Amino acid sequence: MADTPEAIKKSQKLYLMIGLCLFIGTIVTVAVATVPWLDIGKHGFDTADMILGLCIASFKVGLVMYFFMHLNHEKAWVYGVFVLSLVMAFFLAFLVFFAKGDPIHYDNFNTGGVIVPGCLKLIGL
Amino acid sequence: MEIPHIVTPRKDTGLFNAKIAIWLFLASEVMLFGGFFSAYVFLRIGADYPWPERTLPVLPGLINTFILIASSVTVVFAWASLKMREWRRFQIFMGTTVACAVIFMCFKGLEYSVKFHHQAARLIDYSVVEGHLGYETKGGHGEGHEGEPDYVKDADGNKIEDNHYKIAASLLTFDVLRAYKPWLENMVEDAGRAGSAITLSEDIDFNKEGDEPDESKVFKRGTELSYDLITKIRKAHLANRNQNAAWRTDFLSEAWDQKWAEVKANDGLGEGAFAADYPKGLELGPDERKLAYVRWKAGKRASMATDVDLNKVMLEIGGKKVHYADIALPEQGTAAFTIDKPFTVRFSSYDVISKFDPNATSINLRDGTVVGGTYEDSSIAFHYVDGIDFQHLAMKAEEKGQDPVIAIENSWLIKENPEVAMLWEKHQKVIGQLEEELATHGREPTHKDRYRMGWQEIAYYMQTNLDDVQIVKGKYAAPKVGMTLVEQFKGPDYTTRMADKAKPQFPAIHIPREMVMLDSKFKPKWNTYYAIYFTITGLHGLHVIGGAIVLGYYLFFGRKMYLSNPEWLANRVEVGGLFWHFVDLIWIFAFPIFYLM
Repeated sequence: MADTPEAIKKSQKLYLMIGLCLFIGTIVTVAVATVPWLDIGKHGFDTADMILGLCIASFKVGLVMYFFMHLNHEKAWVYGVFVLSLVMAFFLAFLVFFAKGDPIHYDNFNTGGVIVPGCLKLIGL
Repeated sequence: MEIPHIVTPRKDTGLFNAKIAIWLFLASEVMLFGGFFSAYVFLRIGADYPWPERTLPVLPGLINTFILIASSVTVVFAWASLKMREWRRFQIFMGTTVACAVIFMCFKGLEYSVKFHHQAARLIDYSVVEGHLGYETKGGHGEGHEGEPDYVKDADGNKIEDNHYKIAASLLTFDVLRAYKPWLENMVEDAGRAGSAITLSEDIDFNKEGDEPDESKVFKRGTELSYDLITKIRKAHLANRNQNAAWRTDFLSEAWDQKWAEVKANDGLGEGAFAADYPKGLELGPDERKLAYVRWKAGKRASMATDVDLNKVMLEIGGKKVHYADIALPEQGTAAFTIDKPFTVRFSSYDVISKFDPNATSINLRDGTVVGGTYEDSSIAFHYVDGIDFQHLAMKAEEKGQDPVIAIENSWLIKENPEVAMLWEKHQKVIGQLEEELATHGREPTHKDRYRMGWQEIAYYMQTNLDDVQIVKGKYAAPKVGMTLVEQFKGPDYTTRMADKAKPQFPAIHIPREMVMLDSKFKPKWNTYYAIYFTITGLHGLHVIGGAIVLGYYLFFGRKMYLSNPEWLANRVEVGGLFWHFVDLIWIFAFPIFYLM
């Protein structure tokens, strides 16, 4: 990480550029969702818009974490902590699939009922 | 003792103490928000209604995104200023960051406020009406537009919205344990203004027959209703109930002991059915053996509780042997009141737990009160309709294999409301034009295009003749009226848009209560979209407030530390900044998910 006053002074331009990228990314996100001739995929909101919107958001989040949060200067274990928490969050999210094990109360909310068709619909299949 | 690594990093981790802590904390926050975003995904794919896509006004969300990004930049610059030992510059950047947080929360508060004042109703045929209610006037529905209307007001002097259940009350029965004081006091005041008297319908006497009478336990028929009276009845009831409970415990205990002696005498516990079924019971102590016996009996579809009868037991109380029935004190958990001249009581649909039935003669409230009487006209009066949504109705029709357009044209809204029918006719014309235009690009209108009319479309249709209705080429959307900057935040400006009485821009609709399946403001109750929207953005807002407090502390109280150990303060600001960046990146996901998808 830039730690000396000189190095920090030099980094300020980079921080401004990252801020500008974030502003532009936000404008692009809104534009592809609201300007008709930038609407990709089907007319109106659809899977393509969702994927594009989330990709831009992920890119912006990457910029914030890498530069503003100085992950570019951290050791690998810090990345490990974040990857682990993301993996945990992902698996915890899908714990609801175990609801399938109780056919009485959650019959309508299992892989055969709503979740799988819902996921397929969301990704346009 | 000096704590190591509060300023200098450890060699193995490369981090000072606080930074390790904040990274671990942020990792746990990732899982917290990850859980909520997962909930969003599951609610969306499991929704049994058309998910509201792009339903929030984009401009406030966009401005808030810019504000948070700007604050992320300024907080980095504040940290850099400290590293360069420029206190004044640090103050400017940190002050800007905190100001950004305040502005963000103001916009969020404005957005929430608009939602909390925007009414929606789902009808029994699944069509949805959105808009703003008027206030009830003494002249009845819709009288509020002309001159200076005479409004009906509640006990606090506030005007009453036109969406209440109105009941001509002639009898009130209170649950003395649960009666809700503000409602009761409102009823007393309303009765007073209507010239009605609410009085106890019969004597309530908590004295035991034959005992020395205690006047404080007697409540005479004809006593006027007050919360104080209900409190006294509750106290007397509870005193008797507690005494009875204590006696019942004594009698039951005695009954169990007698039963146990009988069991031991008849069954022997060592030779009978219990012992044969459960030989291990012999190894247990006396109390455990009793319990085991009860469980064994329960397994035989019987229990000790059914075998004992406290009324057969006698105990010595007050120097003589008595049965429980001889000494039990009177209990009464309800108190009925008659009303000499029926008057109107008003409750929101949330507070009435009985399903609406125009022929009902008693209505149950959430606090256990039963209002005897009949419903008056309890229509929901939308004075300004700013949204008509047939998406849910169309979805239901498609599920049944019906043509959605025919289903819509047979809906109550179209059949009984000529203005809505006129709007729908114009909308159908627009959709036809839109279909043609989109077809040239191999596309077609969305469900939302086809079956929803927002406030800008409604205002356009209200002002334009059927022959003149025309889409704007290249917009690929239904024609709309423009909106002012303020309207982009707060929704339609009714004062201006309804000023021309000859050409109002929004229709008014009175929906009979029996047509309403659900009515609500745009709150979590309305649907799961708003539930998860308020949960995630509310939690995010709390993080914004928390972060701003911490950063504000460094700004206003950091000077002393800056003078004694500037590097330590820089480290603290870096840690606070990491949290602030995290708050920003949560919003970077929340904004497109809630506002654009």
